Amino acid sequence: MEIGHSAYDFSLLGVDGKTYTLKDFADKPVLVLFFWCNHCPYVKAYEDRVIRLAREFGDRVAFVAINSNDPNQYPEDDFENMKRIAQEKDYPFPYLYDESQSVAHAYKAARTPEFFVFDEERDLKYHGRFDDNWEHPNQVQKEYVRDAIVSLLNNDLPHHSSTPPVGCTIKWRH
Amino acid sequence: MRVQLLYYPECPSHERALELLQEALQWEGVRVEVQVTRIETQGEAEAYRFIGSPTIRIEGQEIQPQPHLPFRLTCRTFIHEDGRLSPLPSLTTLREAVRNALNGGET
Repeated sequence: MEIGHSAYDFSLLGVDGKTYTLKDFADKPVLVLFFWCNHCPYVKAYEDRVIRLAREFGDRVAFVAINSNDPNQYPEDDFENMKRIAQEKDYPFPYLYDESQSVAHAYKAARTPEFFVFDEERDLKYHGRFDDNWEHPNQVQKEYVRDAIVSLLNNDLPHHSSTPPVGCTIKWRH
Repeated sequence: MRVQLLYYPECPSHERALELLQEALQWEGVRVEVQVTRIETQGEAEAYRFIGSPTIRIEGQEIQPQPHLPFRLTCRTFIHEDGRLSPLPSLTTLREAVRNALNGGET
């Protein structure tokens, strides 16, 4: 998905049993949609950081996690494990199951984790990685998603609009 | 000492894994060339008993074996000493694995 493109709508089941569409997040001026899964070590490396950021900005920013991986090849990524992990980690955001993988295809997502930050009109303003150091959280220099959120909340453009996502590949159905 | 690193190129951790492995070998005074194998197909994953990238074996022994996992093309999770989950093993884990091999498998 190119910067400036509008968010694609979806209708996906969340681990809380509710079905979510874009309208469910319309009350928040910023939307952070990110492709996520259960098994990828890069997701695990970022999990606490994403949870912290979601808690910090939860009143003004909608965070939405989407798992599109094929659970037939990767059983840890099935819906039951999504529910378990979301409960164990007390995810402060909906965790949605893209069973058909159509949402990942629409967004042209390729990796987990991969972040898309949209403004109030739901135009894409940032796409890419969470920050610049997945290995050492205490050595992060650039917090790309945070920067995008703060910029958009201040009616500015993010300093970076795009970075290459780092993580596991999305596991497509064969 | 036979040291192997197997990797899936779509997982970005292998270059850093090789650096860490070479650093661990250097710390333990072992001069050996790491045998690097690229795994690109499910068939190769099964043939090499590859459960994720990077897979590191010293004298044929996996560091942090995870026998419950299937053979597959993905990134692998390692547990660090502080409980953190990471796409890479810690230097401490690697050094311990090398020391263990030097001691003939005795811990």
